[in-house]
Amino acid sequence: MSAVIEENVGSLADVTSGAINIKDVVKIYDPDGAAVMAVDHCSIDIPAGEICMIVGPSGCGKTTLLNAIAGFHDITSGSIHLDGELLCGPGKPQAKPGSDRIVVFQNGALFPWKTNLDNIAFGPMMVGNQSKAEIYDKARSMMADAGLSGTENNFPGEVSSGLRRRVEIVRALMNDPKVLLFDEPYRALDSLTKSVMHEALLEIYYRNKVTIFFITHDLEEAIFLGHRLIIMSSRPCKPKKIMEVDIPHPRDYSVLTSPRFRELMNEAKDVVHEEAQKAFDAGEKEG
Amino acid sequence: MDQLVDLLKSAMPFRMVPDNLIRDIAGICTQHSFAAGENIYNLGDTADDVYIVSSGSVQHILGVDSGTSQHEKTMRSGDIFGWAAVLEGQNTRLAATSSKEPTEVIRINGKELTRLFKTDPAVGDVVMTRFATMINKEFYVPRTISDQVPGFKQALVAKSLQGSEVTTMALTVYRISTWLKSPRPYLMLIGFAFVLGFWYLSVEVWKLPRFVDMPGPTEVFTEWFSEDPYYGLSIYTPEYYKHIGISLQRIAFAFFLATGLGVPLGLFLGWSKSFREFIFPLFEVLRPIPVLAWVPLAIIIFSGSETPVIFLTFLASFFATTLNTMLGVESIDESYSRAAYCLGASRWQTFIHVVIPGAMPYIFTGLQISIGVAWFSLVAGEMVSGQYGLGYLINTAYMMIEYPKIIIGMITLGVVGYTTSAMVRMMGDYLMQWRVRELALGDN
Repeated sequence: MSAVIEENVGSLADVTSGAINIKDVVKIYDPDGAAVMAVDHCSIDIPAGEICMIVGPSGCGKTTLLNAIAGFHDITSGSIHLDGELLCGPGKPQAKPGSDRIVVFQNGALFPWKTNLDNIAFGPMMVGNQSKAEIYDKARSMMADAGLSGTENNFPGEVSSGLRRRVEIVRALMNDPKVLLFDEPYRALDSLTKSVMHEALLEIYYRNKVTIFFITHDLEEAIFLGHRLIIMSSRPCKPKKIMEVDIPHPRDYSVLTSPRFRELMNEAKDVVHEEAQKAFDAGEKEG
Repeated sequence: MDQLVDLLKSAMPFRMVPDNLIRDIAGICTQHSFAAGENIYNLGDTADDVYIVSSGSVQHILGVDSGTSQHEKTMRSGDIFGWAAVLEGQNTRLAATSSKEPTEVIRINGKELTRLFKTDPAVGDVVMTRFATMINKEFYVPRTISDQVPGFKQALVAKSLQGSEVTTMALTVYRISTWLKSPRPYLMLIGFAFVLGFWYLSVEVWKLPRFVDMPGPTEVFTEWFSEDPYYGLSIYTPEYYKHIGISLQRIAFAFFLATGLGVPLGLFLGWSKSFREFIFPLFEVLRPIPVLAWVPLAIIIFSGSETPVIFLTFLASFFATTLNTMLGVESIDESYSRAAYCLGASRWQTFIHVVIPGAMPYIFTGLQISIGVAWFSLVAGEMVSGQYGLGYLINTAYMMIEYPKIIIGMITLGVVGYTTSAMVRMMGDYLMQWRVRELALGDN
């Protein structure tokens, strides 16, 4: 990491776009007459450039919120704004998916039939306002920056799962998004690979500051990566506790053993455990 | 103990590792001696330990599939081997090793070692990176194996790996050689021999009562390969090839027509809900009607003897292709199209770049079935209508009591049918390189 990056790594002052404003969002699923409230008057303000970790038990409705921001489904009431612009709200129940908000999916959604390089070039190629040579040059240099050189012509199925996740993040960043939406992207990885992925993600983040909306139920991951933790109550989903993570960026793995990290961990654990117990008692299905 | 520490320090990956960690590592080492020629481990054994040679020498032979340029090497004092034990997801040995002379080795449990590295992630990362670089430089392993080294930075290998691209050709040769080494081809031959043997015995030796009129293999093969065939049909008569040619022509025409109409229809059925609701019920009622039931109608509607046969052949193919293509579209994980929309693709672009390639594996399953049922209905059609063709050949041979020709027609159908089906499969492999390469590496 270069010195330039390190100097202003902690500050979000230079990030001007990507503020998300979630206000009183309610989502009621009504598949067969039995209304299920997935999200209940949820309000969250995420400043531009923040890594905001959404923590909660499985199936609490976190993904519902993410899908609403991404535009994969509608909300029942409330509103979501991105930089003051209405994504969805009164009169416009469903946001239009777009390259300003890109999702990194739980099980990964790299196209297995395209090479890593073609996957990364996909977004700009579809939008089509740059030349093919420009796009591929940029794709190659972004791959090199992320330590992915040499795998350009491999198909995603030929490389390790950790590497695939990195390709997917680079694919998202190719489109200069304002927001990255992570839906438990590292859930399926083993803890060793995960730890490498966390550092790699931070490194990428320090280079390209975008707002990160990151869903997880792994507390260690949440505290290590996040500026803030928003701990959600079990279904219906609404913020139960907001925790500032006052460990300065840039962070590396030594943070994990620091006393402050342990303190935050214990603090969060109590809240999360209570919610997890509630969810367990209610017998909710993972979602 | 000090001797052990010195030896560890001399091993490449552990150079510059701080003393306290080296001492910890020394703590989990065990010493073993091997007599000359003794086996240390074999290809495919469970990989638990990493080895360092302390004295003597070890012969190290890599397995065929490790993608290496150099199969054999000798490991001497300070050399380290058995790194499969520290790779994630690689728990079997990729090489066989044995001592060349009386040899002393140090054994370190891979899991213990990785655990020690975790206590000092910075150093652990350096050692792991060295491991990976070493593996790459010395053994030229496929990229996927070096990827399994925890914490390994890709950029380091990038250069050394460019030349080791596993080419399709090498893969084919490799597959053929493993196939020949497996019991499969020999079991296959036994299968053929068994059927031929039963045919020969039942007809020519035991002369079973119901097999009286059945031609035996001697008669059939004499006729088939005779320059002057008794019934006028052998590999030397142009008529034989005319039958094959006409059948192939009909198959090709019907198959391409069915594919050209069935694939687009299937794609749209899977893609558009309203279109499916409109067409699919009709489709579901027509589909179960057997091809034979269409014969009279086909003859009434279509003029001549050629069109009804092609229509019947087309029909079965068309249903198989359409249905499988539709299932293919439905099988595509929703996150792929969501990802495409996120990345700014329009609905049409998503159709081209996600729906079509995503459905491809199912489409080709459909085409495999399609070519099979095409032959089935072709023969049915040729038996009822048409001139020339293998179905016609079999049917007329029956009428004219030229029984060996029936068998020749049948075996020819089998061979030609199998060939067309193999061609469809090869076409699929060619179009779906990503799948071939994924499957070749196994699921990772």
